[in-house]
Amino acid sequence: MTFLLETAHGSAENGHATNPVSELLGNFGVDGPHLTVQLINFCILAFVLWKWAIKPALGTLEQRTAIIEKGLADAAAAEKRLAEANKTAEARLNQAADESANILAQARAAAKQVVEAAKAEAVVATTEVIRRGQEAIEADRRRMQVEFRTDAARLVVETAAKVLEQSLDDATKTRLNEAATKQLAR
Amino acid sequence: MSPAAARAEAKRLLALSLHEGVVSSERVSAVIAAISKKYSAHQLRPVLRAYLASVRREIARSEARIEHAGPLSANDAAAIAAYFTKTLGRPVSPVATRKDSLLAGFRVRVGDDVTDLTSALRLANLVKALS
Repeated sequence: MTFLLETAHGSAENGHATNPVSELLGNFGVDGPHLTVQLINFCILAFVLWKWAIKPALGTLEQRTAIIEKGLADAAAAEKRLAEANKTAEARLNQAADESANILAQARAAAKQVVEAAKAEAVVATTEVIRRGQEAIEADRRRMQVEFRTDAARLVVETAAKVLEQSLDDATKTRLNEAATKQLAR
Repeated sequence: MSPAAARAEAKRLLALSLHEGVVSSERVSAVIAAISKKYSAHQLRPVLRAYLASVRREIARSEARIEHAGPLSANDAAAIAAYFTKTLGRPVSPVATRKDSLLAGFRVRVGDDVTDLTSALRLANLVKALS
């Protein structure tokens, strides 16, 4: 600024009575028409760039931004869904664990009942086998008693018959026959 | 001739063979002579067989077969026959056979009836009672 003021002051001192602004611009090489053309060119260039370069680039950028935001939103939603899925899975796992615990408890109870029933059945079967064995032993004992009694009686009677056969003489037999005849007549 | 017809014929012939309720040997001979002329050889065989069985059965019914241990007097045998004659209502004659395995007493068979008064039977009953 100081330089511009000093330049303007110097020009005034040199006696040139021109427009100082124009002189100043002229000193800087600024040509009005040329500048106007440059401005027009610049505007055209800016328009062209805005229309076919910057605006599409911005649109693409916005699309990508939107895509990225959408991706982020989707990621957030996915993360949320994942969290919900994890929560649901955890809940289902807990439920499954509870159910499995219940089923296991029921299975253990059923197995215990089966074992108890099998034990009771085995006890009954054992008792039945023992009872049958005792009955068979008792039957054998009774049969042996009967056989022994029969054999003993047969032996005694056979011995008695032999003794009688040897000891009875004809006179005795005659007397017995007469007694039998009298018994028959009665 | 069927077996049933032979038995019926034998029954009729047996009735002809009895004299006062007892099988008569003369009548049996006459019956045999008559049926030998009446029937052919193949018809005669079953009739004779049935007639023989009937006669045997009738003789058995009229005999008291006495099996006895030791001596049995004739009087006792006659008393036994008289008892069965009275009981059965037909003449019964005694046929005695000694059998010492009976030990003592006697056993009488008249037809299908058996009366046992032997010591052997009593011992056998004793065995059953003790068994």
